Amino acid sequence: MLKEKEVIIIGGGAAGLAAAVACQEKGIEDILIIERNAYLGGILNQCIHDGFGLEKFNSSLSGPEYAQKYIDQVKEKKIPFLLDSMVIDLSTQKEVTVINRQGLQHYRAKVIILAMGCRERTRGAISIPGTRPAGIYTAGVAQELINLKNYMVGQKIVILGSGDIGMIMARRLTLEGAEVVLVAEKLPYSSGLPRNINQCLYDFDIPLLLNHTVIDIKGNGRLSEVTLAEVGKRGGIIPKSKRKVACDTLLLSVGLIPENELSRQAGIVLSLITAGPEVDERGQTNVPGIFACGNVLQVHDIVDNVSLEAEYITEGILDYLQGRISESQEIKMTLGAGLRYVVPQKIFTIKDTIFSFRVNQPGKKKTLVFEEDQKLIKKKYFPRVNPAEMLRVKLSSSELKDINKLKVKLV
Amino acid sequence: MERKFVCIICPNSCQIKVEYENKTIKKIIGAQCPKGEAFVKNEIANPLRVFVGSVKVTNGNFKLVSVKTPIPIPKKYLKHIGKLTHSLEVEAPVAIGQTIALNLLNEKIDLVATRKVNKIIN
Ligand SMILES: Cc1cc2nc3c(=O)[nH]c(=O)nc-3n(C[C@H](O)[C@H](O)[C@H](O)COP(=O)(O)OP(=O)(O)OC[C@H]3O[C@@H](n4cnc5c(N)ncnc54)[C@H](O)[C@@H]3O)c2cc1C
Ligand code: SF4
Repeated sequence: MLKEKEVIIIGGGAAGLAAAVACQEKGIEDILIIERNAYLGGILNQCIHDGFGLEKFNSSLSGPEYAQKYIDQVKEKKIPFLLDSMVIDLSTQKEVTVINRQGLQHYRAKVIILAMGCRERTRGAISIPGTRPAGIYTAGVAQELINLKNYMVGQKIVILGSGDIGMIMARRLTLEGAEVVLVAEKLPYSSGLPRNINQCLYDFDIPLLLNHTVIDIKGNGRLSEVTLAEVGKRGGIIPKSKRKVACDTLLLSVGLIPENELSRQAGIVLSLITAGPEVDERGQTNVPGIFACGNVLQVHDIVDNVSLEAEYITEGILDYLQGRISESQEIKMTLGAGLRYVVPQKIFTIKDTIFSFRVNQPGKKKTLVFEEDQKLIKKKYFPRVNPAEMLRVKLSSSELKDINKLKVKLV
Repeated sequence: MERKFVCIICPNSCQIKVEYENKTIKKIIGAQCPKGEAFVKNEIANPLRVFVGSVKVTNGNFKLVSVKTPIPIPKKYLKHIGKLTHSLEVEAPVAIGQTIALNLLNEKIDLVATRKVNKIIN
């Protein structure tokens, strides 16, 4: 039997929960959140460190506390949700197939919100040679094991990659009594926030080796040693820099990728750079009525921005449900120097629009410039920019009026 | 003396340069808000950090409850408190904000829960 819904939200993490609450506040009644875990809140449940909610709640919350604020609202507003329920298929017609203990279930919705989050790159994805012993984890899996499952991953730890999750785990493992030998980062700069380098590594005298990577892994049964080497200017290994480091555990913190298998099934066009759907100014994908927000759209570093993005796309969802979206001329977006990507990738209608960016490399005293041909539309100054930090800029409908194309660059 | 700090109070991670003598700040540049100066003062005198960790729960829908110190504590105690959390245990249900431990190390260090844990009935 096919059950009809107005809005189905796939994923009950920060993005899905905030989208549900905002939809309901806009008067949308018939909502269903579908979550594959046994609990709502997504990745926030395992992020027990503080630092969440500084913008939205003006206090420094832990991940579970931040999630609970939204879970409470979902429950108060009696928004229906399914737990232990995994969406296994999504079609262009917005039909959703769910599997749970009751078996297979079929839904169809007028609007689908993709809020499936992201997953970690694994060692396979970055292919380190060597044996395949036990004791190798992605940082997020280690975080889940330690913070949710009460399972300690090891005692002598090397971390590859200086993403925020890896650094946060370095501190967590140290406080749990393990020895974190070092963090190696292939790039000449850390891919995480400077505050985390400070409070997670330097506070505990954990060295951060930039321009270093792991080139070999050894161990019989359990990991016993990794080989570390310095990366030269052209990206090659400097042979005489090789050295062996004893350890029983290697954590990989080498980046996150949006989880878009379902989006592909539905024929959604994905961006090669963000690995998330290409969306317009409303957060709508190329399939009308399918919207995306949170880490499935672009990897976020700050949860407050995930919630804001989810709330923001519900404006467009209301327009869609009320038939207020009219096809109009596309404003072509182009990306200039200094930027890795911009979301949205396309603009069809003129409305107040929030643009998110990531820069290519760290820099100081930079200005983000929006222009049409040579005409300046808007600029915004940043004292410092960092690839680890997403930039967000709002352009009002009056600033976007009468524009045919829009170029953004960092100068 | 001159030192550089990275403020950890918010994700802006301001890089703050200070000149100071005997814990008195003479010159400070780089903080985007007043919290940065307060942070640096503490860093010079007695660095403070919020401790986060977890404590075992019995009969709960989660095995662990995450905890934090309600206020930042001297950095030098972080590892001690980490060790102490291994010997603590609480019974579900646990509410956010519930006190889990009081006056640890006799230094007025408390721990409060930051996760809601429901009781499971077997
Ligand atoms: C380790 C880590 C540390 C972080 N630290 C900070 C920090 O200090 N401060 C800060 O502000 N932000 C931090 N962030 C960022 C922020 O917390 C996340 O970006 C945000 O919580 C992501 O929310 P989301 O809803 O997009 O994704 P998730 O929380 O991943 O939610 C996605 C949900 O979708 C579900 N799902 C996926 N596929 C399916 C399917 N097929 N069927 C059903 N359900 C499905 C998943 O189970 C999951 O619950 C951190 C993130 C991580 C990973
Ligand atoms: S000085 Fe203010 S703005 Fe800068 S990191 Fe600290 S709290 Fe944030």
